[in-house]
Order: sequence, then structure tokens, then C-alpha cells
Amino acid sequence: MRGFGAVFIAVVIGFALTIGAFLINRARPAAESGQPNAELVRASGKCAECHYRLQYSVVHEYEMSVHAQKHVSCLECHQPAGSQERNEHHGFVISKHLTAANCRGCHEPIYQEFLRSRHAAVSWAAVYGEQSLSTEQVSFAEQYHPGYAKRPPHPFTTIEGPSAMSSGCEQCHSVGRPNTDGSIGTCTACHTRHTSSVAVAREPRTCGQCHMGPDHSQIEIYEESKHGVLYNSQGALMNLARTPRQLTTHDMWIPTCATCHMSGINGNKVTHDTSERLSYYLADPITKKRPNYLFAQNNMKQICSQCHTKPIIDRVYQQAEQVVNITNDRVAEAKALVDSLRTEGVLKGAPFTNRIDFVYFDLWHYDGRTSKHGAFMGGADFVQWHGNYPMISKMVDLKSMAQELRGGRGHGK
Amino acid sequence: MASDGVAGWRTDYVLWVEVFALANLAFLALDIFIAHSENGFLRRAEYLPLYFSLAAPVLLVAAILARHFGTRPRLWTAIGYAVGLVSIALGLGGVIYHLDSQFFYERTIRSLTYAAPFAAPLAYTGIGLLLLLNRMEAAPSEHWAKWILFLALGGFFGNFVLSLTDHAENGFFHWTEWLPVLSSSFAVTFLTVFYFVPTTLRYLKACAMVMLLQAVVGTLGFLFHAIADLHGPSRSFFQNVVNGAPPFAPLLLPNLMLLALIGLWVVGRSVQTTKDGRL
Repeated sequence: MRGFGAVFIAVVIGFALTIGAFLINRARPAAESGQPNAELVRASGKCAECHYRLQYSVVHEYEMSVHAQKHVSCLECHQPAGSQERNEHHGFVISKHLTAANCRGCHEPIYQEFLRSRHAAVSWAAVYGEQSLSTEQVSFAEQYHPGYAKRPPHPFTTIEGPSAMSSGCEQCHSVGRPNTDGSIGTCTACHTRHTSSVAVAREPRTCGQCHMGPDHSQIEIYEESKHGVLYNSQGALMNLARTPRQLTTHDMWIPTCATCHMSGINGNKVTHDTSERLSYYLADPITKKRPNYLFAQNNMKQICSQCHTKPIIDRVYQQAEQVVNITNDRVAEAKALVDSLRTEGVLKGAPFTNRIDFVYFDLWHYDGRTSKHGAFMGGADFVQWHGNYPMISKMVDLKSMAQELRGGRGHGK
Repeated sequence: MASDGVAGWRTDYVLWVEVFALANLAFLALDIFIAHSENGFLRRAEYLPLYFSLAAPVLLVAAILARHFGTRPRLWTAIGYAVGLVSIALGLGGVIYHLDSQFFYERTIRSLTYAAPFAAPLAYTGIGLLLLLNRMEAAPSEHWAKWILFLALGGFFGNFVLSLTDHAENGFFHWTEWLPVLSSSFAVTFLTVFYFVPTTLRYLKACAMVMLLQAVVGTLGFLFHAIADLHGPSRSFFQNVVNGAPPFAPLLLPNLMLLALIGLWVVGRSVQTTKDGRL
């Protein structure tokens, strides 16, 4: 039995070492190690090891995200979804381009809401028309926005050329881009890439990255409004990161764009269909009621009522509808004038080849829209000085130009 | 120190250890090339071990020849010291470099798991110490053999840590990933106990059996890693090897077994010469 003691001690300590290692491994968070495959476990730390050096901000942004808190690893979002082009990347197979298809794996109901919105196919069709959308995508969008998906490309795609389109219009309208994997759009347009943040999406400036400028000056109007003034003053005190279904006016007592158009504040329905609470087609030259006018207006009024009394809400709607009507009248008058010039044969050439085309376009596209948006969003200055006033001024210009054309002194150039 | 023919090299344990060090350094060139290809040799310093591993074996061959022919005994010593000291420094420096990752920012077990294999460069330190040992201690003596076993013990401990952290990276997804942890923990404890309790020839035989177990586990590991790489996500086998399971890593177990067996053999010879078979 000589030597048995040594063997016994060695076996006991050796086994204890293994058990110790096993216990340490068990102490790891289950969400980290209990993944469906080994690649997903490895991705939870391996990706950061390289990208911490190469793109620190990407890792840092991810670390701040709810995805990180819930142990969603890099590979879960970056793995190819459906027919996406695959890319071998240091022992992992990842997608070359991430789209909404990568998000819908976990957020399918939200994606379906988004598909119904004007942020989806309709947004893309507004620039490039139906040509780059599939027949199914067009017919789906037409169910909810008749006439807004089945349309030709915008004349500017030809006039301004591809460089202006890709660096200009497309930067915002790509929120509804048809992807090669069959999905539409990109969620990161609002939620950003690695923070995947609901708080960022609730920031007015996030919407303002596209909803700005003379043709859709929502962010400027918001900042002028009492909502915007209060947000600038107290926004930092609010909890914009609150889970959507738990969001109350205790978290966000001042509304941002998302509050009115999407959030389910105080138990109301959350939606990613930004059209669900809109009762008018305000972006059109002549604004019409939407097919779901009453339903949509009730939805929006329900949200308004979380902070305002019914008389105030009704007054705002009544006044805004008056602005819509008067703007429609002004645009209709201008349109009739320009149309008559074409009918009479005085105004010739393709669209946007005559000076008068631009004046008319600015009248409805800039001033008319601004006036209507200002009325619904509490932007008095935009109803008046950036809306009605230039409309009247341009109407005078249009009449003067028409007179000149009819007098045979040129083609409005 | 010329050898005495075939019988001479069979019992020339110093030569065996020298060849062991030489072969390990040469093999490390391939290992480093694969390991550092993972990040495309991002830092110039990553080429240092590669160049060293290519040059050192040539120098050591020269040292062995100098010793064999007995014409330049000082050359044997000088080359061994030089290669050994550089190897030690390279290994220690490598540990610092490998830890210079998220571990330094987070200092958590998780970040240590996903860091570059921080203990791996210590292979150079171990080989460097082996080269010094081969020249500083009278060999083959019991004292020399115990140091050989101690260095093998260090290697097994490193392998225990590496197999633990490497396999933790994919969450011990397959139960076989626990095998090297289990086997190397026994290798560590059997060789550690050796230093703390009176050891018998039977215990040495038990140690030898445990060492043979390492060879079995290591060979199995090589096969498992190779199979995993053959089914890797990339169409390129090389990319699967670079980014997937390191096929040569498990071979460290049979490799260390060889070193430990040299030590055990020499100690065993001493035991046999004692009266009661006890050291």
C-alpha cells in the first residue's frame, strides 16, 4: 500500500480542482452560456474583444443598450436572416447588410405595424415610385395608403440625378427601402444601430433628422410650440428609456413626437404605424381626410387627453381644420391657375422647366404644408409667417407671371 | 561531452530535453503563425515570437552539434543561455501583451475568458527555463529530474487554465470539453503531491499512468478540434483553423507527457537504487 496516500491526495485534490472549475462555469449568467449554439456563446464576448480596439464606440454603445442588459449577443442581430448575403467573419457567419429582417426575428408584431405605416414602402415610393418595390409590397401598401405606393418616380429623380437622390432624398426615404432579403426598411433609422434605443427614438431630434426643413418642418414647429419649449427646459428630467408598455406621464410629462404619434402612454396602445393617429393627408397639395379619419382622430385625441381637457383638444382640432380648409382653397386656386395656363397652351414643356412651376410647387409643398402642420402642432409662427403669408405672396407672383405669359412675353422663365 | 554511440544517446537525457525544447520552439512557429493570423498580426510585436521560433531551433541545432562533437563546449552553453533568456523574456512579455485587452479595463473572469490566451506565451518561458536548467544543473541527476518534473507541472497547470478558459468561451457546449480540464487537473495534482509526500516507485508508476492518460485525452482533443474545423463555418479550412478550435492546442498534453516521462524515468532510476524503494 506504499504510495497509496499520495495517490489518494492527488485524486481528491485533482477532482476538487475540476469541481471548482465546474462551479465557476456554472456561476456564469445562464443567458450568456445557455445559448442554442456554441457560436452564440462565443459571440457574447469574442466580438467585443476585437471591436473594443477597432471601433470602441460600437462596443460602448452596445454596452449601454437594453440588448446588452438582456444578454442579446452581437451574433443574434448580425447572423444572416433569410436570404441575406452571408459573410465569413473570423469564425462567424454574419450578414453583409443588416435590415429590418434582422430585427423582426424578435420584434415581428412591431415590424408588421411598421409595414402598415407611411414610413415603410410608401416612403420609398415617394421618391422612386413603385418600380423598385415588389408587386406584393405595392399591393400591401396600397391597402393602407391608396395611391401612395402605386405611383411613378418623383420628377426630381430625373431632374436632379442619382447623386442628389442617393445623398439627399434617399438618406431619409430609405427608412422604407425595399431590401434584397424581401423585407422593407431599417429600424436603425430611428433606434440607431448599437444602442437600439427606445430613448433615442423618443428624442424629438431623432424625428427631426428627416422631419425638418421647408417641406416638412415638423421639428422647427415642435421647437416653437409649448411642447418643444417645455421639452427643452425639462426634457433631461424625464425617463425616456421607460419600457413602452409601462410608459406613463410620470415618466414623460412633456410630449415628444413619439408620445403623440406612437407611444402607448398611460396604458394606451403602442404603435409603430405612425399613420394610426393621423386623420388628414397633410402632406398633399389638397388635403383630404384619410379613410380612417374618425378612428385616427379619436386615437390622437385619446393621447391628447392624457394631458389636456376635451374643450382644449376640440378647439385645437377645430382651428386646425379651418387652416386646412383655407390652405386647400389657396392651393386649389393656385393649381387652377397653373392648370389653366397648360390647358390654354401658354405654359409648355416638361414639369419643372418653367419658373412658374417652382413657384407653384413651393406654394403648396413648402408654405401650404407648413401652414397645416403648424396648425395641428401649435406652431403659430409657422401658420402665419412661414405658411399663409408666403402663400398669399406667391399667389400674387403666380397671377403676375400668368398675366405675363398670357401677354405672350415668354413661358414663365 | 561526446556521446557514446547508440547506447549513449539512449541514456543522454540532456540531449532528449534539448531536442524536446528545440522541437517545441520549432512547432511554436506554426502555432504562432496560426494564432496571430486571427487578428492578422495586428501589432508588429506579434511577429517577434514567430521570428524567434524560426531562428531558435537553428541555433539549438548548432549547440547540440557543438556538444556532440565536443569541440566547442562553451558554444553549447552560450547558445543555450542566449536562446533560453530571450525565450523567457519573450514569454513574460507575451503575457503582458495578451492581457492588454478588455481584461485590463474590466478585470472580470468574463473578460479574462475572452481575452487572448494569456497563459499561452508562458510556453516560451517554460522552454527557456528548460534550456537554462539543462546547462545549470548536473544531469541526469535526481535534482535535475525534479526540476524537469516541476516545469512539466507548470505546463500542465497552464494547460488546465487554458482548457478551462478556452472552452468557457463556447460555454462547454459539448461535454467532451470538460475532459482536458479533468485530465490536466489530475496531472497537476499528481505532480504537485510528488513534492510534498514521500514518493515510492509505485507512485511514480501511477504518475506515469496519469501522464499516459494525458496523451490519450490530448490525441482525442486533436481529433475533436480537427473535426470541428472540418465542419467550420468558412469554406476555407485555414480560416476555420485560425478562427475555430485550435487543432494543435490539445497536443500540448502528450507533449508535456513526454517531458514528464523523462523526469519520472530519471527519478525512477534513482528510486530503484535506494534500499527500500523510497525517495
